[in-house]
Amino acid sequence: MATQTPAHPHKDDGAVHAHISSTAFYVGVFLALIALTILTVGQSYVDLGRMNLIVVILIATTKASLVVTFFMHLRYDNKFNALIFVSCLFFIGVFFAYTLNDTERRGELDADQNVKVLPKTGEDAPGGFVQPTPAAAGGEHGATPASSGAAPAAH
Amino acid sequence: MAAITTTPGAHHDDADPNASFLEKKGLMSWLVTLDHKRIGIMYLISVTIAFLLGGIFALLVRAELFTRGQTLFDADTYNKMFSLHGVVMVFLFIIPSIPAGLGNIMLPVQLGTKDVAFPRLNLLSLYIYWFGAVFGLYSMINGGVDTGWTFYTPYASSDPAHGGVGSATSVIPMTLAAFIMGFSSILTGVNFIATVHKMRAPGLTWRRLTLFTWALYATSIIQILATPVLAITLLLLTMERFLGLGIFDPRLGGDPVLYQHFFWFYSHPAVYIMIVPGMGVVSDILATFSRREPVGYMAIAASSLGLALLGFLVWGHHLFVAGMSEWATMVFSALTFLVAIPSGVKVFNWVATLYKGSISLQSPMLWALSFVFLFTIGGLTGLFLGMLAVDVHLHDTYFVVAHFHYVMVGGTVMGFVGGLHYWWPKFTGKMYEEGLARIGWFLVFIGFNVTFIAQFIMGSRGMPRRYYDYLPQYEIFHQVSTIGSWILGLGFLVLLVMFIRSLMNGKPAPRNPWGSAALEWLTPTPPPTFNFVKDPVLTRGQYDYQLATDDELYEGFDDPLFPGLRGGKAPAKKAAAEGDHG
Amino acid sequence: MSSEATAAADAHDDHGHGHHGPKWLAHHFDTPAQQFDAAKLGMWVFLAQELLFFSGLFVAYGVYRSWYPEMFFAASHQLDKIMGGANTVVLLFSSFTAAMAVRSAQLGKQKATGNFILITIVCACFFLVVKYLEYTHKIHAGLLPGRYFHPHAEHLVAGAPALPANAGSFFGIYFMMTGIHGIHVIIGIGVLIWVWIRNNRGEFSKEYFTPVDIVALYWHLVDLVWIYLFPLLYLV
Repeated sequence: MATQTPAHPHKDDGAVHAHISSTAFYVGVFLALIALTILTVGQSYVDLGRMNLIVVILIATTKASLVVTFFMHLRYDNKFNALIFVSCLFFIGVFFAYTLNDTERRGELDADQNVKVLPKTGEDAPGGFVQPTPAAAGGEHGATPASSGAAPAAH
Repeated sequence: MAAITTTPGAHHDDADPNASFLEKKGLMSWLVTLDHKRIGIMYLISVTIAFLLGGIFALLVRAELFTRGQTLFDADTYNKMFSLHGVVMVFLFIIPSIPAGLGNIMLPVQLGTKDVAFPRLNLLSLYIYWFGAVFGLYSMINGGVDTGWTFYTPYASSDPAHGGVGSATSVIPMTLAAFIMGFSSILTGVNFIATVHKMRAPGLTWRRLTLFTWALYATSIIQILATPVLAITLLLLTMERFLGLGIFDPRLGGDPVLYQHFFWFYSHPAVYIMIVPGMGVVSDILATFSRREPVGYMAIAASSLGLALLGFLVWGHHLFVAGMSEWATMVFSALTFLVAIPSGVKVFNWVATLYKGSISLQSPMLWALSFVFLFTIGGLTGLFLGMLAVDVHLHDTYFVVAHFHYVMVGGTVMGFVGGLHYWWPKFTGKMYEEGLARIGWFLVFIGFNVTFIAQFIMGSRGMPRRYYDYLPQYEIFHQVSTIGSWILGLGFLVLLVMFIRSLMNGKPAPRNPWGSAALEWLTPTPPPTFNFVKDPVLTRGQYDYQLATDDELYEGFDDPLFPGLRGGKAPAKKAAAEGDHG
Repeated sequence: MSSEATAAADAHDDHGHGHHGPKWLAHHFDTPAQQFDAAKLGMWVFLAQELLFFSGLFVAYGVYRSWYPEMFFAASHQLDKIMGGANTVVLLFSSFTAAMAVRSAQLGKQKATGNFILITIVCACFFLVVKYLEYTHKIHAGLLPGRYFHPHAEHLVAGAPALPANAGSFFGIYFMMTGIHGIHVIIGIGVLIWVWIRNNRGEFSKEYFTPVDIVALYWHLVDLVWIYLFPLLYLV
């Protein structure tokens, strides 16, 4: 290997140095993953209402973190590779947040401001705003006058 | 005391590795090459063909609009023509043009390395591009598409063959074409990121990268993060049309606006895939032809990354009138204005670079200056459209068409053609006729402005885009615009002739025809297969004109401001330089 | 200023462009570490794009689940938790064996590497078989995407909540998510076979195990996606 003279001073000896974990450690991670799988399946038989989704995602994220950190060696890898991974999650977050920012809030302002548009067709309401379901609506806008109950978003 | 220790023309016992990369002949030597320069040239040829094809569609669209009512063909054909113009220009031409074409050729040379990090992946990306192009051609032969390049649902997803009410044209092959070509773009991005990170020559620190390299790096980030979303979007669209998934089609319980979110999550960042590399080319050209370091080097580099990031936060401004939630429109509108900051940083720095620079107006510089001028118009009109209230009036009018053509053509195409002029001598080894180049530039510049200024005016007066027919008051604008498109087409024809003439019997290009201090001009013309005769080690930045030696700057360069003063001095100095480096 | 650099360049020029170093060191890399780091970086960048590719499906899932929670609740009862759970365990195990294959390769144990890769491939095939059984059942029961959604009452899970008319959207998302994941599994099997063959030829060593590492990274990603797919589709 005489030809492997370090031509670039910033590199050490030019050989690959990878971290090697022990077998017992990998087995431990695997058992933790199985335990979490059992936990999440078991949890599905218990109805926690709105918490269901949060619990499920928390458990899945814990499992995913174990895989990424140890099986994929991100813990011992070049920090920049970890940065790539984290920033990619950031952009997925942007994708999620902005899209849901629309889909969750469509028609809110129209409802608040009593815009005279028929929610079903998008056309101007001839005689003013027509309440589709006056009794059921208005829960989230309790403070506003009764006349401006929330119109359902047009999805 | 050369600052960049590359000696052109040094003696080597083994002559073979220093032969020009163009030396090997035969079709197979091109088709199975792993040389990034040859792959880049094949990309350039492919995108030029795509550009001509897309240009023909554009001329046909303009010709049809010359008079009211039917001029050349019927409304259905017209719909296909403008859709194919968009699809071909966006997916086959603009996106690969600068990164995969010019970038492939110049990036490793500018980094002082032998090749990109993954040469096989690089060749694969070219084949994937061709494979996608075959699908696109199949769709065109099969009748083309009439959905516009955006494939909006439900029109594109609702197939009359399955009882739908949408487009009956060949949508699936075309979306698959764009889907496949997306992977070519992704692989190029993967390759460039790894190359910039791991393959830089010794001494080439991040602060010494050229601005073109910085721009390609920022572009690659966008390609990695945005293109896969296009892939999944088009796959969902294909499946929606094929199986009726019920995700985008309202008749099946889907939401068409969701498609627009998906599509623009890619396609708005894709605007920066198109424009940022052009900005990089222009930064390099302005530095060379002003003969000085770009003012605010780090600001220009950072603003490329800034555009890459901000590009992901503003896609909703394409959906202002689509029925998106009002809250979301306000957020997106506010964020859209942020894009003006990095764009402004660039334009101000470019102009400051010109100030007290020793400017020579050779043809690459003419294109770069056109870029700055036209991109500024394109960028500023974008602010009108980012404004919620104004957008309601201007949305889907010719104002939008003119705006994005000022950015795409006035920006990217000017950058692309400018870069082609700038690096042409380096990678072909031939000079071109400056006179013909200037005539071509003049025609393109005039033709472009005539075409699209007319569109700004009629758009602001309410002429909707994509319409086959129009009211009498718009006739004059349409006619001016169409005449402009003929001038524009003639200009590109002149350029095509000019480049072909250069290839046939151009004068051999010297090593450094523009007198640039950057690394790519210090290797022989055309470069050897592994780019450099000796692996370069940098001891100065690529724009440090004050540190560059006369020998580095003036071999083959006859300063147009002082003809004969320094040109021709090189051969004598060359021997001395060789002695210097042993 | 340039003397040091010149010396470095000269030192470099001694071995010039001629091919040097071990056979597996590509001509355009200077050192094994540079090659390894570039490959790892490239792979992580590639994995980032894979995640964004899947993110579109997850966003679609999020939007529709938030709009129609009852429909998702009813439709997810038609999926078999046991089969999904078994597949999860199998994939986690295959991920473990993939990690062990990399470990063996790092230690230069050629035989162990081959065996671990083989176990990973077997697990992947098992996963596909279970997936096939699940798909057949769905097709029999008419639980298909959007337009083709025609549930047959006799094939549905007994005691599950009634399926709303728009449950086709759920199965559209279900088939897209698991289908694209399944294609990734198939590609994974392909590349695992490729490194298995190369390992048998003895191409890897303590110094050069990059392909094993890269392919394992890809396989972990397949696992990673399934870790989210399973609870989101089967359990909520």
